[in-house]
Amino acid sequence: MLLAGLLASAEHGINHVLRMDSTALPRLAALEGKVVEIDCLQPALKLFVLPDDQGLMLAAHWEGGVDCTLRAPAGRLAQLALAGDKTAVLHSPQVQLHGDTAVLLDLFGILQDLDLDWEYELQRWLGPVPTALLAGHLRLRARWSRQGLTRFSQNLSEYLAEESRTLVGKREAEAAFSELDALKVDIERLEARMRRLAHTLDTSDNA
Amino acid sequence: MTDPRKGDHAEPTTHFGFQDVPESQKAKKVAEVFHSVAAKYDLMNDVLSGGMHRLWKRFTIELSGVRTGNRVLDIAGGTGDLAAKFSRLVGPTGQVVLADINESMLKVGRDRLLDRGVAGNIEFVQADAEKLPFPDNHFDCVTIAFGLRNVTHKEDAIRSMLRVLKPGGRLLILEFSKPTNKLMSKAYDAYSFAFMPLAGKLITNDSESYRYLAESIRMHPDQETLKSMMVAAGFDRVTYHNMTSGIVAVHRGIKP
Repeated sequence: MLLAGLLASAEHGINHVLRMDSTALPRLAALEGKVVEIDCLQPALKLFVLPDDQGLMLAAHWEGGVDCTLRAPAGRLAQLALAGDKTAVLHSPQVQLHGDTAVLLDLFGILQDLDLDWEYELQRWLGPVPTALLAGHLRLRARWSRQGLTRFSQNLSEYLAEESRTLVGKREAEAAFSELDALKVDIERLEARMRRLAHTLDTSDNA
Repeated sequence: MTDPRKGDHAEPTTHFGFQDVPESQKAKKVAEVFHSVAAKYDLMNDVLSGGMHRLWKRFTIELSGVRTGNRVLDIAGGTGDLAAKFSRLVGPTGQVVLADINESMLKVGRDRLLDRGVAGNIEFVQADAEKLPFPDNHFDCVTIAFGLRNVTHKEDAIRSMLRVLKPGGRLLILEFSKPTNKLMSKAYDAYSFAFMPLAGKLITNDSESYRYLAESIRMHPDQETLKSMMVAAGFDRVTYHNMTSGIVAVHRGIKP
């Protein structure tokens, strides 16, 4: 019952979020009637997802048929939920897929493409003017934070690569890799030449 | 030999809570209870169960195995909690019939579902569970949630449900049952006979209806008895799941 309660709360929250995207529900309607089973191996836990035009229904137990099963350890499932490129995670060896995988890919596609209209939701509670002021302020803060983060990351990488020499810089690493590649090709060429010479020597001895 | 179900009058009697009443009177008395509580039925369910009734109903839906295009009958559907979920599951190609013997409950349920935009694949029928007005082998799934204990002839109702189910279709009975834990049973008795009528008095100004609710729960068959009633009616693979230490149980049977 505890799990059922948690799933009911999660379902309520997820559907609320899905309603904030104008395209999510019509896209989910196309998956109506499909059942996706998510089977977490460690810890053992099963979750059934039933999409329809009103959002997602989550169930801990489902007696009906299942269209697609995704089986993976919890770590991989979390990675799948957070990863930008979900296809790469789905192809990893610890992840097993059975059934109609198109359903699962469509479902992940919809969740990945979510573009939430949070201003509309805020407007319902605060009204248009406070929302506009607050949204402008939040957007400014978000832009400032993004820029700050980018600058910090650039400065950090410059410091580590150029000043402290703790790490090798990207260009330096690329140059080293290209030299290594050239060396590898040269060695292969040398090996081929030595094999040819050895073969020539063997043939002349026999003659 | 005298028939133990017969009282002073020649008419057989049945229980209405802890009272014995003539069988013909039970439906009328139950109807009075539900006319009285219909308007605040959902609120009272939430208050009395602490919201647990939603989880019990969720689990029942999970056991139903209902899919797109199925035909579902929700008997004693009341305010339409199960019917709304089934309407989503069966989709536009399926059909849900919400049946209730009580006009007030049906009206509240219909208005509530229409207000929530649940329409198109749902029908509302005032019907007696003992004499279901549907053809044989018609539904993929039949449910009755917190309704069977109010039915006068439970065996007749179960047989009627079997008749309208398709072979392979499933019946789900969600109903109050007997707690499996003695301590829980004592606490539950104290809660039922002290708190429930008091809450009924405070919220709906009707303590008697909630006293009846507590009494009718005690008079309802326990898990094993209800299971044997379903088997006797002709259901196959009858199982039950206890929830909240057996305060509620969901029985499932398949029509062979």
